Amino acid sequence: MLTIRLTVNGMRQEVEVPTYRTLLDCLRYDLGLTGSKEGCGVGVCGACTVLLDGKMISACIALASFADGRTVTTIEGLAQDERLHPVQQAFMDMGGFQCGICTPGQVMASKALLDEVPHPSEAEIREWMLGNLCRCTGYYKIVESVRAASRAGRP
Amino acid sequence: ALAVFDVQYEARPGVFDQLGGVRRGAPVVHAAPGAYEGAPAERPHPNVQSVLRFKLGDVDAGFREADRVFEHTFRTQLAHHGYIEPHAGVVAIDAEGRVQVWASNKMPYRLKELLAHALRLPKERIRVNLTPIGGDFGGKGSLMDLPLAYHLARVTGRPVKMLMRYAEELMAGNPRHPSVITMRTGVTSGGRIVARRVTAHFNSGAYAAFKPAPTVNLGGAGMGAGVYRIPHLLIESFCVYTHSIPCGHARSPGEPQMVFAGESHMDMIARDMGLDPAELRRRNLLGDGDLLANGHHLEHVRAKETLEAALAATDWGAPKPPWVGRGVAMTHRHIGVGFTNAHVRLETKGTVTLVIGLPDTGTGAHLVLRQVVAEVLGLTVEEVEIELASTDLFETDSGVGGSRVTHTGGRAAYHAAEQLKEQIAAEAARLGVRDASLATIAQAAARDGRTLEAGHFYDAKSHAAVTSFTAQAAEVAVDPETGQVTVRRFTTAHDVGTVINPLGHQGQIEGGFVQGLGFALSEELRTEDGRISTLSLGDFKLPTVLDIPPLTTVLLEDPVGPGPFGAKAIGEGSISAVAPAIANAVADACGVRVQDLPITAEKVYVALRERG
Repeated sequence: MLTIRLTVNGMRQEVEVPTYRTLLDCLRYDLGLTGSKEGCGVGVCGACTVLLDGKMISACIALASFADGRTVTTIEGLAQDERLHPVQQAFMDMGGFQCGICTPGQVMASKALLDEVPHPSEAEIREWMLGNLCRCTGYYKIVESVRAASRAGRP
Repeated sequence: ALAVFDVQYEARPGVFDQLGGVRRGAPVVHAAPGAYEGAPAERPHPNVQSVLRFKLGDVDAGFREADRVFEHTFRTQLAHHGYIEPHAGVVAIDAEGRVQVWASNKMPYRLKELLAHALRLPKERIRVNLTPIGGDFGGKGSLMDLPLAYHLARVTGRPVKMLMRYAEELMAGNPRHPSVITMRTGVTSGGRIVARRVTAHFNSGAYAAFKPAPTVNLGGAGMGAGVYRIPHLLIESFCVYTHSIPCGHARSPGEPQMVFAGESHMDMIARDMGLDPAELRRRNLLGDGDLLANGHHLEHVRAKETLEAALAATDWGAPKPPWVGRGVAMTHRHIGVGFTNAHVRLETKGTVTLVIGLPDTGTGAHLVLRQVVAEVLGLTVEEVEIELASTDLFETDSGVGGSRVTHTGGRAAYHAAEQLKEQIAAEAARLGVRDASLATIAQAAARDGRTLEAGHFYDAKSHAAVTSFTAQAAEVAVDPETGQVTVRRFTTAHDVGTVINPLGHQGQIEGGFVQGLGFALSEELRTEDGRISTLSLGDFKLPTVLDIPPLTTVLLEDPVGPGPFGAKAIGEGSISAVAPAIANAVADACGVRVQDLPITAEKVYVALRERG
């Protein structure tokens, strides 16, 4: 067992985990943050995308110990009070999700993109979002959502 | 305890593909398949699970009228649904001994019945609690591991959670049946189809129960007739037992397979006869009063308009560069039937609650149902809330599937809301206050100890005489060096009913199209001696955001559907014709005809090299 200290969505957390604990399981089971989802479980589908020190990673193939001393942002950390993050609002307005299982990952990946490139081209959006699979939407409305969020600007 | 067991395995010959399964002398998968509950009686071979036939006219006589006869055989691959949420469920036995179930299952009432049957429990002992579902596409209608979870819960006295890892999903889900389909069509010299005989063999795997329909077959086999008037028709669909993964229902079961075969076949006939593939279709399209393979009459047929819309949007016939081709394909999809309960209740705050036993699999069905209630009662959609009924609340419900929810759920909600509207009017009259708000009316009733509420059970037993046509056209480029196929643009045209939620409607079209695109070009569950060897979602090659071409959607709206306000269905309309549209475009681009899916660069490359 290891004791790790990390900041999740602005809250300092200390958790005791087995060495093999993935960051995703740590978030979901140790911290009760079930917004991040497990799809493929092998770092392919992107449903578990979270930000580690602002950079997107697949939490299903990262060990919890990897986040020791670092800052994690999950889907639960985006909305301010009752107000949705512009990326979340854009996904709602543009129909960027259907069943919602990939959506936390799509939203986190979009946020990471817009933090780095506030006004991406369509080609840049597609290149960046390539690691986030979606079976429901066929992606068209996800691309539109990212564009809309880009237009709306960030707070 | 393991030490006391000494296990020795005796390897016996297996059979892994559908044609091998029905060969004479093939290893027999089940000693007495006819003894299984619900097993069909007809069994031309011990490994045949079921036979489904569609028959019009006299097919032998029909072929005698033909000037030309064409026969081609097509194959389609084993394909997973690809929902991102694997199967999951929890079974807990509560203090009263009731079996509480939470599961990613789209048919909670049928789940209750199947569980009761499998576990030999009275139905009333089981309560299925509805949960949101992370994608379904036909794959989430079975028991999966829930009986096991029940027994573990029973023995341990603890709640048991069952969760499939994605590798397990791929190995042990209930994927789309692989097929071998032979199409034989007799045509007059004028390009009119006079007869068609279709023989389809579907690899059903080791068990039949993922097809919980009386036929134990795939209804989509009827699509062997395509969208054409065929006076003499015989379709025979054989589901075959093999020693491999049991297959199940997947978004329009059997149709992507049949439509790939049928629409590729039509193109091959047209090219052989020197006809424009669109023209051969025009000469044979279904019209008003024509019969479908299942013997149903059709009305409000807009097959031709749908075809022309797709062609126009794709510049059919316009000049194109070398190694670029265009292809068209058509299909149609029924508006599903089934039965749904809906209950509506006026709350004292003036909002309305819709109680429904249908889970939302991610299609936005709940929003559509709220819209229907809002429309009837003159409310905003925000003023209609949804409440999910556990299986304790209603007697039955056919659940989600078969393009039925907007129709059956929508009509149930519509009629319930209409009754509530009458009650509200009666209560308002009793109050004698002009323009009383809904809150005032509900509160007045509440003071008398009454709640204004109404329920409706809507049961559609047979299909309406309308269907929904699809015409899709692809423009592709083939790389002469590698055989790689790139879809340059794609058009999907649909003859639809009243569109209740345009955003959700378009989302269904786009999602179905991209699922069809994956089926056409990349997705395949590979097997070795019946065992799945594609064990990661990455290896399965679901399309990514980089793979999607520019898409044009054309809607021909006609409010003639059986759903509320004339709605039809859309969830399964855009998947089935994608692969043949692309295959036909590839043939147009470079002369290579790929008759087995997926259309990989490797297959096109080999064909180009063989041609020299």
